[in-house]
Amino acid sequence: MASTPFRSRRIVVACGLVVAFMLVIARLVNLQVMQSAALTVKADRQHQKNVMLEGARGTIYDRNSKVLAMNMDVPSVFGVPASLGNPGVTARNLSPILHVKATELEKKLKQEKHFVWLARKLEPEQGRRLERLALDGVGVVMEGRRFYPKGPLLSHVLGFAGMDDRGLEGVELRYEQYLRGEKRAVVLQRDALGRAVFPKGLNEEGAAGGHSLTLTVDEVIQYIAEKELDEAVSRSNAKSGTIIVMDPKTGAVLAMAVSPRFDPNTVGALAPDRWRNRALTDTYEPGSTMKTVIAAAALEEKVMTPGSMIYGENGQFSIANTVIHDHEKTGWMTFSQMIQKSSNIGAAKVGMALGEWRVFDYLKDFGFGDKTGIDLPGETVGLLRGPRQWGKRSLASISMGQEVGVTPLQMVTAVSAIANGGVLMKPFVVSEIRNAKGQLVAQTMPQAKRRVISADTARTLTTLLEGVVTSGTGGKAGIPGFRVAGKTGTAQKVDPRTGAYSSTLLVGSFLGYVPAEDPRLAMIVVIDEPRGEGWGGVVAAPVFRRVGEQVLNYLGVAVDEPVKLAMAGLES
Amino acid sequence: MKAVAFAAVTSLVLLFVWERVDIVRIGYHIERLKAQKVLLERERDELRVKLSGLTAPERIARLASDKLGMMQPEKGQVVVINIEPEAPANPVVAEGEVRIAKNIVTRRAR
Repeated sequence: MASTPFRSRRIVVACGLVVAFMLVIARLVNLQVMQSAALTVKADRQHQKNVMLEGARGTIYDRNSKVLAMNMDVPSVFGVPASLGNPGVTARNLSPILHVKATELEKKLKQEKHFVWLARKLEPEQGRRLERLALDGVGVVMEGRRFYPKGPLLSHVLGFAGMDDRGLEGVELRYEQYLRGEKRAVVLQRDALGRAVFPKGLNEEGAAGGHSLTLTVDEVIQYIAEKELDEAVSRSNAKSGTIIVMDPKTGAVLAMAVSPRFDPNTVGALAPDRWRNRALTDTYEPGSTMKTVIAAAALEEKVMTPGSMIYGENGQFSIANTVIHDHEKTGWMTFSQMIQKSSNIGAAKVGMALGEWRVFDYLKDFGFGDKTGIDLPGETVGLLRGPRQWGKRSLASISMGQEVGVTPLQMVTAVSAIANGGVLMKPFVVSEIRNAKGQLVAQTMPQAKRRVISADTARTLTTLLEGVVTSGTGGKAGIPGFRVAGKTGTAQKVDPRTGAYSSTLLVGSFLGYVPAEDPRLAMIVVIDEPRGEGWGGVVAAPVFRRVGEQVLNYLGVAVDEPVKLAMAGLES
Repeated sequence: MKAVAFAAVTSLVLLFVWERVDIVRIGYHIERLKAQKVLLERERDELRVKLSGLTAPERIARLASDKLGMMQPEKGQVVVINIEPEAPANPVVAEGEVRIAKNIVTRRAR
């Protein structure tokens, strides 16, 4: 048995231990219960990292799945002025990589800020060089940047996205809600070194990327159209030009070229005027190409037949105290010849035979004065006043394509209706939308708006329009081996200085389709303010031929009439 | 008996600890692989952008004419005709059509 002093020491030690344990328990209760909420928040703040993830913007493909626009993570460089020893030396090291003057960088690095952007969205190679340099007080973060690898190709249709990755023009703007990547806030568990910790970090899924779009446009057809348009605009010293190539049976746009072009990769320095898609935002007086619609109305209403005789008044016709002129003095001519020769007087008389309301109704039916409904932003309705607002000469003027404002897109949509047998289609540029996993989200099916003329009328009119190319004003649009139907147009523009029609400011155009029997392409070529000879048959028809010939070859469309062997080596 | 029980309990505890440590180790490995995946995806995207730029029709046409001396066929030099499907003349030719280059133009001097 232990002695009394030893027992008392044991009791003291035991009591001490009990008190110590009591203190520990008290502290535990204090930490775990009393301060639980506050400490949990503090711990979470240290262990958890809130990150806002944003999926990459969706890719845009052409009809053959060729990439036209896509996102890529690229380096952005920032500086932490407080952590810099010598801003001057750092600036001199950074300058050759960032291609920014050292003095400018030094100025930024000397600011009294915790964080300053030095350069954003650089090329990947610049980021790799910066990483090798490993400068103190300089950091690199990755940001999504929009790339348009084909440069200016299709730029007016694609539009562009801004620095914040938001669509600002074209398809990029129209389909912003689909292209934009998912934005999601996630909480990552991290260790003392800031690394993500399993299992929480593993289970967090990244934000889904945006939907991808497949366009109806074919990059090769687009290239052919842009190349020929640029050459034509340059050759004729014109202000601008437009070509639209459409599949007349579906309304799918195969190419939409606007000259001058722009590169969406470097859009910052350009004036908004350069990136406006003139094919659907700008209106012009179509001139004689409008006679196709008047002719369609006259044939459909049986006001005219191809053989109907019209008197050409020997080139001068007075109406409402004004005189309408024809470039060729003609006496009697058939309706068919009137189209071939593009007689203004003949067109005015056909319009008068139809009457104001029927002319207006057919123009409305063919889509003038309304948006076509294409899935691109900025489309205008053009200008088509109601008959109650017409003057005494308006009926004659409108019948020959004056006093009416149209867009190239409206014109090509209208001629597509003649080409496909009489049905007005809704034009479109996006055929498919797929999510980030490649699953189909939406598909655009060809949409018929209404029947505007009968199939018989369309066939008869096609024959008349073929005559324009074989023996009329559109001879230069002829493509060997193919029957081409089309119409030339030359419209005078209003001179802003005088307020009257100018004899030098013209819009030359050609509107047509090929092969005439079973059309694969409907096309409009518009050359705005060409210098020198501005006739549609001179400036626009040859462009139609060059584009048509190359595109038909590319599509492998078989010839539809005997071909003259008139080439070197085979020529007799 | 007590020793066996002690050994069993100790083993279980060690197994549990080893499992936890291994989970963390594999977790870090997975995180490294995820970072590697991100880098590879970036490289893939960079290559896709490069490929798309290199296959741009404008560039191909420029190289074809400038470096190889190629030129667009002249008006009417290429004629596509339909052939009867039941009489395929050449198995290499795509079904239903054949291209005839009717004229061989002397290659342009470089």
